[in-house]
Amino acid sequence: MLTFIKNVFKQDQHSSRRQANDRLRVVLAHDRAGTSAELMDTIKEEIIQVIAKHIEIAGNPEVNFIREGRHSALDISIPIKGR
Amino acid sequence: MENNQTRSEVIVVTSGKGGVGKTTTVANLSTSLARMGYKVAVMDLDIGLKKLDLILGLENRVIYDIVQVIEGECTLKQALVKDKRFPGLCMLPAAQTRNKDDITPEQVQTLCESLKQEFDYIFIDCPAGIEQGFKNSIAAADKAIVVTNPEVSAVRDADRIIGMLESAQYKDIHLLVNRIQNDMIKSGNMLSIEDLTQHLCINLLGIVPEDRNVIISTNKGEPIILNERSQAAQAFNNIAQRITGRDVPFLELDDHSFWSKLRGLGRNLLPAK
Repeated sequence: MLTFIKNVFKQDQHSSRRQANDRLRVVLAHDRAGTSAELMDTIKEEIIQVIAKHIEIAGNPEVNFIREGRHSALDISIPIKGR
Repeated sequence: MENNQTRSEVIVVTSGKGGVGKTTTVANLSTSLARMGYKVAVMDLDIGLKKLDLILGLENRVIYDIVQVIEGECTLKQALVKDKRFPGLCMLPAAQTRNKDDITPEQVQTLCESLKQEFDYIFIDCPAGIEQGFKNSIAAADKAIVVTNPEVSAVRDADRIIGMLESAQYKDIHLLVNRIQNDMIKSGNMLSIEDLTQHLCINLLGIVPEDRNVIISTNKGEPIILNERSQAAQAFNNIAQRITGRDVPFLELDDHSFWSKLRGLGRNLLPAK
């Protein structure tokens, strides 16, 4: 019984529907912004570098490409080290 | 005639990707509306690759085409092919030996203005792609129906088309999902309606299930809406009703499972009322 439930769960994780959704999410976000995945990586890196040049960053800075309705946005979260 | 339409409406049917069912959609929505008693004109703007005449079964009745009307070789009235099965339905054929650059968006607008004098609904069958043919097709449209299939390539192209319509200031954009297979969605192997509306973020106008009857109807040059038993026919008739402003619930899809087939068999065996 447990293996049956596991199999159902596994099927969902790897189902082609799920893969299609994941791939579409990425490709549509980039299509809408007119960017490529490589360009996005470069932008993320440079944003973090610019901040780091002026203030000290603590923990893990994150720059993510997110979607709000039909529009894409950059979600930037950069923790700053306190004194 | 149940005509509660106050002003006529130009509706473009578009998709980006080819082969998703634009022409089938135009043929069936237009015939369905004509059967309800509305006056409907269909305009094939896939110049050089015309199909609408063939899908409607009107290929032998074509005399003039849209380019000849624009170039003044004939009048609009002469070029319109009347469908004898549906009084009120007329088709303006595309030219087969010309190309998309032979007409302009302004010329399409002028044609639509003349058609609006006489027809309640004017459907434009847009060619695949995002080039001149697409620009000509959307020029006069009040409403856009974006047709897509539950496949990644069709969804990506639909998204691009919606983006282009939005940047051209179109507000009335609706989604039609064609060729849905409920059993595949249930087994996790097809994008669902919810998946598609989440990705594309536009209003859902209708869902048309995969139906082998469509191929049979197309072979005969008959619209599928005439086939009472077809699920696709029901779906297209419902969408046509929604276009007129009626609130029709979405179709419950058959999942082709053993039990649903058995139920279907039971239904068919029962004597008709």
